[in-house]
Amino acid sequence: MTGSIQHVVIVGGGTAGWLAAALLAARRPDLAVTLVEAPDIPTIGVGEGTWPTMCETLASIGIPESEFLRECDASFKQGSRFIGWVDGTAADSYLHPFTAPPPGDMRDLLAAWQMACPDAPFAAAMTPQAAACARDLAPRQRAMPDYAGALNYGYHLDAGKFAALLARHATGRLGVTRIAAKVTGVIAAENGDIAALELGGHPALAGDLFLDCSGQAAILIGGHCDGGWIDRSDVSFNDRALAVQVPTAPDAPIAAQTVGTAHAAGWLWDIALPTRRGIGCVYSSRFMSDDTAHQVLLDYIRAHVPGANPDRLQPRQLTFRTGHRERFWNRNCLSIGLSAGFIEPLEASAIVLIELSLNALIENFPASRAAMTIHADRFNELFRYRWDRIVEFLKLHHALSHRSEPYWLAQRAPDTIPARLAQQLELWRDQPPSTWDFPRVDEIFSAASQQYVLYGMGWPARTNAAPSPAASARLAEVRERARALAAALPANRTYFTAAAKAAPDERLVRT
Amino acid sequence: MSNHQILNPADHGALRVHTGAGAQFGDAVMACLTVPLEFRAVQGHYPIVFRRDAASGQFSALAMFGFDNGENLFLDGDRWDARYRPLAMAIQPFLIGRPPGGSDTPQVHIDMAHPRIDHGGEGTRLFDEDARPTPYLETMAGRLGDLDHGYRQYPAFFAALERHDLLEPFTLDVPLDNGARHSLVGYHVIAEDRLAALDGGALGELQLEGHLLPIFMAVASLGRFADMVARKNARVALG
Repeated sequence: MTGSIQHVVIVGGGTAGWLAAALLAARRPDLAVTLVEAPDIPTIGVGEGTWPTMCETLASIGIPESEFLRECDASFKQGSRFIGWVDGTAADSYLHPFTAPPPGDMRDLLAAWQMACPDAPFAAAMTPQAAACARDLAPRQRAMPDYAGALNYGYHLDAGKFAALLARHATGRLGVTRIAAKVTGVIAAENGDIAALELGGHPALAGDLFLDCSGQAAILIGGHCDGGWIDRSDVSFNDRALAVQVPTAPDAPIAAQTVGTAHAAGWLWDIALPTRRGIGCVYSSRFMSDDTAHQVLLDYIRAHVPGANPDRLQPRQLTFRTGHRERFWNRNCLSIGLSAGFIEPLEASAIVLIELSLNALIENFPASRAAMTIHADRFNELFRYRWDRIVEFLKLHHALSHRSEPYWLAQRAPDTIPARLAQQLELWRDQPPSTWDFPRVDEIFSAASQQYVLYGMGWPARTNAAPSPAASARLAEVRERARALAAALPANRTYFTAAAKAAPDERLVRT
Repeated sequence: MSNHQILNPADHGALRVHTGAGAQFGDAVMACLTVPLEFRAVQGHYPIVFRRDAASGQFSALAMFGFDNGENLFLDGDRWDARYRPLAMAIQPFLIGRPPGGSDTPQVHIDMAHPRIDHGGEGTRLFDEDARPTPYLETMAGRLGDLDHGYRQYPAFFAALERHDLLEPFTLDVPLDNGARHSLVGYHVIAEDRLAALDGGALGELQLEGHLLPIFMAVASLGRFADMVARKNARVALG
């Protein structure tokens, strides 16, 4: 079989499936794209935070930003704030923002920070984004062009609405075919590939390349095209979550970042949308019972969401195994999304992995079945690398803690820390994280991200020289820019209230 | 109706001002005052002409944006299509004020009835949480200072122009591509012939007083009328 690859069949209609359909159709209009989704499967609804990469993704799909924000009940995400991760005391809080530190040698910038404003948190010294986050400000003004801001930003969104918007856009404007049916079997080709899918009462669906976006069910990559599984729970202990949506008042402030708050045996996420907050308690069942986790969740809501009535909420329990495929792309089947792997959503890696997978596929799309094997090997090597980096980066958040509960002590046990991370921590005593540590194109967590976590958690900034005047000037610029942006940017709530008033057509209202 | 107030953090601590361009912010005007110290920047984009106030007999300088009242050919929706906005436009909604009692120290005043005053929370703040001026207000205060300084040079500048008889009446007849005609009447420009005929002593005097550069900038600025006609033709063509 050396046939050309013309028809892509996507199995599963969640965020992964519809992003795949829309991006493929938009960027490769020469391909035929068909998406099969079972009509009765709800989305898991946990992946509700994106990275700044989503701006480019949505722009290339051709969805206007105002439409996306409105239809997905979305808000702006400018990073993550971690509370209670170092020692759990009242002042224990640091920010991992999306905007990188100023350009220049980080050793020099660290020296400038230590000299000019040692009491300022690392993130506040390195980027004006900290000032915007502290004030719940939007990263952009409404008059700015779509997907452009004064600061880098991604989104918080309603995953169910997001999949629905992508589905409307992909089928209505991009020519994707949608089939509502359940995959009941696989028809194999002679070489072992998938030739076609059996769809209950529908005719069999043939294709050249199959994307398994069926979530934890992993219908193809865990079935006919078994890609194997690598368990990572030896490093990443958390295996359960309790998730709930809490409605908020129409005038409540909207936080500018995801808030991750540590607890005795895990952490809580808190994602603010214009109409609700998505809150979840992630925990390790080895260290905490479901009942205790439930109590931790309710206590958090009582303390942090004014006016909420936690007794009325019905949290949904999710259980997950942490790990990923040995081969994400096996034969003519590529897994994207939760079918490819799962890890706690501490740094919102789920949706960005979908985008990175699709970019890798689209920019290296196999022209023929013969080329596909080469592309698959390269893809598998790249994403094994990326998963290793994700596992290590999330471990870094735990490994730097000084908390003393059994869960936290276990998280720091040397035999649970990956060898490469242990080596890097050794090097980072002498030198800051740099591109020498993270040399690949599109590193999932850049040296800047590592720096924000490392120095945010109080890692000693070893400086043995006075800062250069240039580094000091850069940090002074950050302070000036912080003042200017704090004055010029609207509050998130103001932004979305004004946007709602201006809808559907801002221009008509303004003239 | 205007409502001038002395700017202060107690009354205006939470106030925000719209900084964008747009007719709704009062930018749809055919001209604004300009001062000699910004002629170099203004002439890069706009013609500079002079007008004598009928009542006082005093001259003032104008940067021109259009040929009719309310026409600003540099305003394109929410975009001001030039890299420099004359100070008198850029400082709105602020004004230069003088305290009662004749002190000479200028104050920052604000017109609370100006359309740039924000009521929806999306403008730029003037003071931060600690009542310190924001960088935006610092910039505005700097521009107000420049403009005030420029106005103070008016008497000497125009006295010099009149002393050397360097102003002459000016009428511009503008034929458009579609056959229509526009004319600008009642303005003055620098009398180039008389400027060219000045002797070294007169030129040296103008140079010493700092007037020579703005005079030549005003002369050069008249070339910008061609750009304005092109903009006008483009708008007429678009209907």
